[in-house]
Amino acid sequence: MHIPDGFLSPEICALMYVISIAFLVWSWKKVRATYSRSLVPLLAVSSAFVFAAQMINFPIVYGTSGHLVGGTFLSILLGPYAAIMSMTIVLMMQALFFADGGLFTFGANIFNMAVIGGLSFFLVKILTKNPKRSGRFLATVFAASWLSVVLGALVCGLQIGFSPVFSDAGGITVTLPAMLFWHALIGLGEAAITTTLVSQLHRLQPAVLNGLAILRGRLE
Amino acid sequence: MKRYLEALILILIALAVLIPFASNLPDGLEKVAESLGIEEYSPTWTGLMPDYALPTIEDPYISTLLAGTLGVLLVLGVAFMLGIAITKPNKQ
Repeated sequence: MHIPDGFLSPEICALMYVISIAFLVWSWKKVRATYSRSLVPLLAVSSAFVFAAQMINFPIVYGTSGHLVGGTFLSILLGPYAAIMSMTIVLMMQALFFADGGLFTFGANIFNMAVIGGLSFFLVKILTKNPKRSGRFLATVFAASWLSVVLGALVCGLQIGFSPVFSDAGGITVTLPAMLFWHALIGLGEAAITTTLVSQLHRLQPAVLNGLAILRGRLE
Repeated sequence: MKRYLEALILILIALAVLIPFASNLPDGLEKVAESLGIEEYSPTWTGLMPDYALPTIEDPYISTLLAGTLGVLLVLGVAFMLGIAITKPNKQ
């Protein structure tokens, strides 16, 4: 879902930069106010994991592939604010060194993957009434990670659909259904991988699932 | 800290094992662009390792593995530095 340079109009690129920078400032302040330094190694390693995971594309159907985005996964480990920062670092390194995602479209990519991924945490929080019931917790993780990819694709479909390159080819009436179709499928992969990872960590290393503890303990 | 080092090694091993199985098919957005006949511009900024490959190494597996390992270490380092910059010391 990394948008390359050339796909978005300058106005949409600029708008998405403004929106994403606002979210980054907000996350920065939240992380600064609430996070302990002991979380730093987990931030580093989980960011590195997401970078590696995003390299491994899995085939879906009809000659298309997808890969884990990892926004929901990061938010369960780090909480929503550090997850947004973590994913932004991954996207920045991909754009700077690997030509994966453009520089002008960087703001849009931050919004579609980092911001939406991080904020998907709140869906888990709302739907998980009691995190001790792990079945319900994992079901909400599945739903939130699927939705994070589909919502990202929806916004991406709007961004490209309103940009000249794609609006000449039919605009949002074409781009929205196409993006939603593919990413509804890719999102199932995202949800399956995220739920598997979270359930294994829940079993083996529950202490690293800081997301729920952070919100419950410090911000309520 | 030892746990995190183990996790990092595990990530690199998983990467080395899974790279040959990674799909080269277009992703969702690329597929949409392709189906509309839209081609990606050749980017003005290609980065140092475009498409996760080191340009000087011919073997595609080694090239991707090295690029991926560099990327993992890069992200690890930058995230660590950001974490140190953003959190206050001795805060529980």
